[in-house]
Amino acid sequence: MTTPAPAAAKTYDLSFARWVRDNVNGGDKLNLCMQCGACSGSCPIGVQMDYGPRKLFMMIRAGMKEEVLSANTQWNCTSCYRCVVRCPRGVPVTYILQDLAAKSAEFGYAKGPHENKNFAQAFWWSAATFGRTDERLVTMRYFFSLGFGEGFKRAMANLKTAIGMVKTGRMHIGLPHMTKGRKGLKAALAKAREIEQRN
Amino acid sequence: MAAGQNGAGPASQTILVVGGGIAGVTAAVEAAEAGQDVILIEREAALGGRVTKLNRYFPKLCHPTCGLEINYQRIRKNPRIRVMTMCEVQGISGGRGDYKVSVQRHPRFVNERCTACGACANATETMVENPFNYGLDKVKAAYLPHEHAFPMRYVVAPEAIAAGEGEKLKSACAYGALDPDDKGETFDLHVGAVVWATGWQPYDPKNLDVYSYVHSRDIITNVEMERLAAHDGPTHGKILRPSNGEPAKKVALIQCAGSRDLNHLPYCSRICCLGSLKHAAYVREQYPDAEVHIYYIDIRAHDKLEAFYDRVRADPQVKFIKSKPAHIRVGEDGRPMLHGERTIDREIYAEPYDLVVLATGMQPSAVAGYRPTMGLVADEYGFLVPVEGDGEGMFSAGVASGPLDVSMSVQSATAAALKAIQAVRNA
Repeated sequence: MTTPAPAAAKTYDLSFARWVRDNVNGGDKLNLCMQCGACSGSCPIGVQMDYGPRKLFMMIRAGMKEEVLSANTQWNCTSCYRCVVRCPRGVPVTYILQDLAAKSAEFGYAKGPHENKNFAQAFWWSAATFGRTDERLVTMRYFFSLGFGEGFKRAMANLKTAIGMVKTGRMHIGLPHMTKGRKGLKAALAKAREIEQRN
Repeated sequence: MAAGQNGAGPASQTILVVGGGIAGVTAAVEAAEAGQDVILIEREAALGGRVTKLNRYFPKLCHPTCGLEINYQRIRKNPRIRVMTMCEVQGISGGRGDYKVSVQRHPRFVNERCTACGACANATETMVENPFNYGLDKVKAAYLPHEHAFPMRYVVAPEAIAAGEGEKLKSACAYGALDPDDKGETFDLHVGAVVWATGWQPYDPKNLDVYSYVHSRDIITNVEMERLAAHDGPTHGKILRPSNGEPAKKVALIQCAGSRDLNHLPYCSRICCLGSLKHAAYVREQYPDAEVHIYYIDIRAHDKLEAFYDRVRADPQVKFIKSKPAHIRVGEDGRPMLHGERTIDREIYAEPYDLVVLATGMQPSAVAGYRPTMGLVADEYGFLVPVEGDGEGMFSAGVASGPLDVSMSVQSATAAALKAIQAVRNA
């Protein structure tokens, strides 16, 4: 007698958990998770995530590659580290989510205008170029990366705040602040990129 | 190591049992009934340890006093056992058959002439936190440790002597049992083997800062819950909210509060699941309309204990919620509010309760008190593990050796007694 195998409603990539373990920063600690829910319960913005960290980790184990990499969980993490501090098993939840976000972008899962990805890219552009983050340039680059119309709309909506900040000395006018040794910074970043490629 | 080689004395066949809880009492009576001389020393004023402070045992919900009474009868009838209370080990040297143990006796201010009449308690006006009820209430500074104390003898807290009541108490005693000048003493014991049954202490809930133990009186620990439910506890057995004395009709029991947590106790304490199931039964026995919610990671009711789990689970007013609560805050109405994620349906909850009981785990007493530096080794958590095959005469029993429940402690104590008997007879 043969029992008919149930047809899977979803596709599972059974090598995904292993891939996460080998390729995602902190992924080697994922097998320590005991699904207690302390991370998701502690998360200040957990309700704004498609899945809390606990569920996302279970989905990784189940091999739900598509759902995991296209989730907003890793993008909405604010890196408050509450989950890391409280995790009874020492799982570095924040590191895993941060690197999962980078990997989802790398593999094209965060396509088109993507709020968190675009902001992260604008932030990194400023940090890598000037060695500092310039509020005006980061904000503008982020706003207009979402499209010209959207950028203009957001810029106008924030104009009053911007003027207020300039008046109270919280934002400056003129050239962006820069670090002194920008050559050194560029060299360091180039070396980091080289090491990353090598691995 | 052959006897007599370490010191001047001849080989001793006396067995010293350190700690008079259920494991120590068991090891002492088992060894004595097999014909050995036994000295049982206890740090507190009475025997029984943690078990005395329990309301009932799981899984049968019978009273610990019953088994303790039988053991105390066995001690009373056996001239081979000497019991020393308020004594602590300060140091140990020598080897199997020839240990020299230095002991510190703390002042009790009451000698063996005490008849437990209570005249000293009537004479004192000083009140101290009641150690028997984990400080949940106060007691006169001259007190009987509890109504079932063995030895049945009063003890005077140093606070009463410090308050200058010594002479007043002395004149109140008609039997000459009161000695305000008791300074304690140190003395040496010469023994052939030692059973360490130093037991455990509840993990300090103040370390679990996310569970707000210090911020609400309605957040208590599992050992405090035992006292709350006990007829000789601070509420005479009624489970009332410590903040306002009202019945606790909605109760949360939180498992693994400290245990199985790398930030606290990395190991499973093994008793808390069953302890909390028992607490659910206490509440449901008292209040037909009460609701009990048990927050758990997984319920570890091993082998025969699963029947008790099934029994509690059959009660529709006891809910099992698979979740490790993230934190507890005090709500606007003053009730503790639990926050976390129900992992089965992935709902984030914020739930208020009348009473929250933290199932804090067991930490070996050796982490704070004296621990031997020879013959046994402390593992990374402070549990005492014998060194196999080293020919020493030191053994550990009960929770001093690892997290155990009462029945497992009794088994481990009997085993330790047997090993100690073999050690002294072969010395």
